[in-house]
Amino acid sequence: MALFEPITVAQALIFASLLSLMGVGVTLLYKTTKVPNFAHASFVTLGGYVNFSLIAAFHWNPYLGLPVAFVVVGGESLLLFFLVLEPLRKRKSSVALLMIATLAWHITLLGFLGAYADSLQTFLRVPTRNVVLSYLDFTFGGLPGIFFVSITVTLVAAVALYFAIERTTIGIALRASMENQNLAESVGINTTRMLGIAWFLAAGLAGVAGALLPMWTLLNTSSGDTLIAAMFCVSIVGGLETLYGAFAGGVILALAQIVGTTMLANLVGVWLTGYEPVVPLLLMSIVLLTNPKGVGGMSVWKRLKR
Amino acid sequence: MILQDVILFALELFAYIAIYLIVNEGLNIQLGVTGVTQFGLVFSVSGGAFTAGYLATRLGVWVFHVNTGGLDFINGNIVLTTEVNSFTKSQPLNGFFLLLLVLIAAAVVGAVLGIISSVPAINLRADYLGITLLAFGEILNTFGTAYTPLIGGPPGVIVPDVWAWAGGSRFAASTLTLMVLAGVAYLYIEYVIRTPLGRTLRAIRDNEVAAQSLGKNLPRCRLQAIVIGSVLASMGGALFVLYAGSVTPSFTRYTWTFIPWLMLLLGGLGSNVGTLVGTTAWFTIYDLILYYKYALQGVLPFDVVWLNYLLLGVVVMLILIFRPQGLIPEKPLRTGREKKSSTQ
Repeated sequence: MALFEPITVAQALIFASLLSLMGVGVTLLYKTTKVPNFAHASFVTLGGYVNFSLIAAFHWNPYLGLPVAFVVVGGESLLLFFLVLEPLRKRKSSVALLMIATLAWHITLLGFLGAYADSLQTFLRVPTRNVVLSYLDFTFGGLPGIFFVSITVTLVAAVALYFAIERTTIGIALRASMENQNLAESVGINTTRMLGIAWFLAAGLAGVAGALLPMWTLLNTSSGDTLIAAMFCVSIVGGLETLYGAFAGGVILALAQIVGTTMLANLVGVWLTGYEPVVPLLLMSIVLLTNPKGVGGMSVWKRLKR
Repeated sequence: MILQDVILFALELFAYIAIYLIVNEGLNIQLGVTGVTQFGLVFSVSGGAFTAGYLATRLGVWVFHVNTGGLDFINGNIVLTTEVNSFTKSQPLNGFFLLLLVLIAAAVVGAVLGIISSVPAINLRADYLGITLLAFGEILNTFGTAYTPLIGGPPGVIVPDVWAWAGGSRFAASTLTLMVLAGVAYLYIEYVIRTPLGRTLRAIRDNEVAAQSLGKNLPRCRLQAIVIGSVLASMGGALFVLYAGSVTPSFTRYTWTFIPWLMLLLGGLGSNVGTLVGTTAWFTIYDLILYYKYALQGVLPFDVVWLNYLLLGVVVMLILIFRPQGLIPEKPLRTGREKKSSTQ
């Protein structure tokens, strides 16, 4: 008996793509604002419900909603940044208070999403919990469309992010603001605007990941919550200080979680699948205790460069 | 009739205030006094709750010499718990003994969980630590759900009523017990803050390098604070289960991490009086909201439960922005030597 089927690998790659899109945002926000953003969970859920609303109300193609989700969630994160985090940062609040502020935003958004999903159900008379949209998907070569789309979106996002940050003037200003805010300000960079751009990009990517989520699994108002540990795991395994490490982190976690658990469940017993949520936590603690800089911060890469 | 309703309402309110005060004192010593970014309070709370769920009936069977008749504690949960209850009905002292045993067990589990969460707390910076503790917070729910022998999986188990002897005044007896225990927890933390340990913890929080340069052992002090806090949180979780009479693996970071944070922020981080005031104030406001909220049910196109989330999130953000020091800010400790040094 094969330990795992090819479809399991395909599932893992879809999961890896979605996780990378979420994790890269966590890393970007940590690098720019120095705060682990707990609201990332609800960014993902919000993206999912934006896309679902467009499908339910206007019967859009599920992939047409991606840019809309990007803009809506990105814009919403600007509210969090300018209304809540900036006043706190100006007063030099401790990182703990910034973290609880993002958690408060998350809880607020959770309430909003719950109320919104209920209202949608009342007015449109469609179920808005446990949403599955995979029946709208196309298939190609025996594989679902989400497989190709999620991987393409992630690769495009990675390349676009690389060019935007490494090659454009705004990217240089953004990197300067990340490295040393005071120094960046002294040469005339508006660091607040730069951080705003970073928030827009990071949240937008989370929104896209959320919009893709119902094509692959169930969408609930608690979807983001169940993934929050995985998002931070991806970001930490990749290295909180290394932006592109998140993509490696996503692949590692998805393989560990889906392929690893399937393999072990086949070997040991099905009861093991109940413990699947423990995988990101184990992976995270191993990385934090042995190599807190993550995969991207490992000295191997520096040695290879020379 | 109406008076009775009011009394029952007040009793329940005070019981919840007492349980949350115990948990919040635990959070205050960790977060307010020591400055540990404890986003995983639910870890200790669910640990204590599951301990109570797992052990209460077992200990009851042992204390009252109940014949199990070959029943196991999950399938025979209701039969055996009813059997234990028939004893607690007539033996108040043994009821308290059972309560004490469960609390001791919860305290031991809380201490172990505290030691576990102190490993990252000693090694990691505030932000990394917050992520780790948040991620680990709900791990026990996973075990409670997947490992059915613990508390029977998602349906949960019921636990013996240690206040069954009080009959009709069960709620009065339980609330009174909880309030006494909360008072003890409050005074204990008040005492800890005043000991040299408490002053060292504040020093570490305010300036780590300065405390280190004075020869303070940072990891050991942090460990002590986390274990004290975790023991209290765990006992709070166990009391919650004993009071409610049942336990399911559904301890969320919203109810048992975010709301305690909110109460502490409302009262004032690090201030012990603030913890008491914040807990009481929050519950009073919350019950008023609850009371008026249901008037809106049916008018709004959504479940009013979502208003809780909306409102609480906004309240926290408003406190953070406009009154970060809370209702009763932390005050410098009086050691009785201030006057002397100022006249010199």
